[in-house]
Amino acid sequence: MQQPVLHLPHPVLSQPSSAIEQIDQSALDLATALLDTMRASGHSVGVAAPQIGVSLRAFCIDVTGHRKAKSCHGEIVLFNPVIIEHSGSEIGREGCMSVPELTGDVARATELAVSGIGLDGEDHRFEVNAFEARAMQHEIDHLDGYLFLDRAVAPNRVFPRRVYRDE
Amino acid sequence: MTRVAVAAFGPDRPGMIAAITGVLMGHGGNLEDTSMTVLQGNFAMMLVVSVPEGEAPDSLESALSHEMAPLGLTVVVRPLDDASTVAGEVMAEESNWSVSVRGADRPGIVHRVTRLLADHGANIVDLTTRVIGGATEPVYVMLFEITLGPSADVDRMEAELVTLGEELGVEIHIRSHETDVL
Repeated sequence: MQQPVLHLPHPVLSQPSSAIEQIDQSALDLATALLDTMRASGHSVGVAAPQIGVSLRAFCIDVTGHRKAKSCHGEIVLFNPVIIEHSGSEIGREGCMSVPELTGDVARATELAVSGIGLDGEDHRFEVNAFEARAMQHEIDHLDGYLFLDRAVAPNRVFPRRVYRDE
Repeated sequence: MTRVAVAAFGPDRPGMIAAITGVLMGHGGNLEDTSMTVLQGNFAMMLVVSVPEGEAPDSLESALSHEMAPLGLTVVVRPLDDASTVAGEVMAEESNWSVSVRGADRPGIVHRVTRLLADHGANIVDLTTRVIGGATEPVYVMLFEITLGPSADVDRMEAELVTLGEELGVEIHIRSHETDVL
């Protein structure tokens, strides 16, 4: 079920999340809540568990149809994700449902290898690039208590976001 | 609470922000949006500060000027009406763009470029300019952040910017800053 997205300065957004011990029904329920929240938002391509108030290491993304996407694995839910390898760097402007009033320029690796546990309880490894890589790094940052504001390339590269709808 | 705009300028040295914000705190002020930078060794700051009702801008300016005089800081305080604080709220669909201009320094670059942007309805939300390269061969660098409304003709504006750049002998580039909500 869709969950309300927490906004800054909710403390859950700033604390490191705990690893998920086992992929049981509660983990699967969390995955459903993440996916429902992402789909309901319409314009977001990812949600991390802390954004819906759950301090556990889980996120979902879906960059299907995004103009800047090259690799695209469709809907991904990953528990306990770890960045194994990264390379390249590119600056892009990011917004976040948890910080609806600001955007910021953030440098992200352009190629990423990420491993984690999938909905089937098995280990999975994803090789992603471009926008899918950016989305994953943004969501994994949430699991460590970081927001894009912490990653802005310079203090003057944070801007008011003047267009936003109910979210 | 009411809001005031505080502008201050003076030779850069450590402790300026701590000093001025200490005085503001002593007057019950609460900082909102601020922008501060160093321009050729001079510290420049602009602050929107909410202050308790009854804290008159001119008396706050007197207090700040008195306290900051030993640091060489000139301070101006002006009241802000509500109308000047709502510009950042929800507006019609807009797009964000960066415009960069660089080339040999000459009078009128900022004016000509901003005139052209204004004629296309662009709203400049941030502008930084720097002169580099020394006195013998000064190079002017300008970086704009602009927003454009949905009816803006970006292609035409870009073409006119290129033409203006050729006339002024500077390079002008524009690029989109599409924000992705992650």
